[in-house]
Amino acid sequence: MNGLLIAMILALLIPIYEAYQDEDIWQTMLAFASIATKTAMMILAISVVRDDWMIGMVGVLILSLGNASLMLLAHILRRMNLEEGRSYD
Amino acid sequence: MCWPIVLVGKDSMTEDFYLIAMTALLPLTAGLLVSQINPYHALVIRGILGAISALIYALFGAADVALTEALVGTMLSITLYAVAVRSSMSMRLGVLEETPDADGSSIGIKKRRELAPLLANLNPVLTKYHMRVELLTYPDQAALTNALMEKEIHGTHGLSESLQIRIQRLHDIIQAELPTLGSTYIDVDRVKQQDKTV
Repeated sequence: MNGLLIAMILALLIPIYEAYQDEDIWQTMLAFASIATKTAMMILAISVVRDDWMIGMVGVLILSLGNASLMLLAHILRRMNLEEGRSYD
Repeated sequence: MCWPIVLVGKDSMTEDFYLIAMTALLPLTAGLLVSQINPYHALVIRGILGAISALIYALFGAADVALTEALVGTMLSITLYAVAVRSSMSMRLGVLEETPDADGSSIGIKKRRELAPLLANLNPVLTKYHMRVELLTYPDQAALTNALMEKEIHGTHGLSESLQIRIQRLHDIIQAELPTLGSTYIDVDRVKQQDKTV
């Protein structure tokens, strides 16, 4: 289980690098989605390792609400892009 | 409750290792956040920072803090900041509403066609400064001038040959980047005072 966690930490570095080097906002959003889901899964893995249900429940909440916040942010960004697109033509 | 201290022996070493590895991600993303220039990118990276800090709080056994970070720090503050940045990083340009065509063709399309060259010039420059143009239409010249004087808009198009801008910084940017477009700076407060003394 510890090996799995270390592998997940290494996998977490990939979207962080992606968020760092990309110019496109949607690529950064993708990296954010990837990291949000990965960290929530890591919290769940830790809760299983420690057999701590309190942390497990928080992991589940973060997994669902983190993605909800992502959708809210994506919607605002999309509306902004639409407005810009309208004024260009 | 501090797990790494409670555990002893080989397990404690491995647990220490991934604790340190995860905690090292926090300054990494924080450095990434402060190095961002684009405010929207910075917001998304603030979300990443929030996700990682929630993970670390959960790791230290502070489930309530992790939940608060995820809900307030990541979800609420980012959404509110996105709305704030979106509404503040815009140039409000007042334009005249033209008379409808005799054949009754769509006003919106005609107006957009007239403003297209201006926007094609203005948009790339403002995008460089992470801003956007917001068009507001006014029925006549008096309403447009009044809006400028009341600071409802940042600039006008259609009152004179050039753009009239009341923000010094915006005027400087447009003057430097688009000298052909022509913009005149109007100090609204001074104009108002002159009107009062006259």
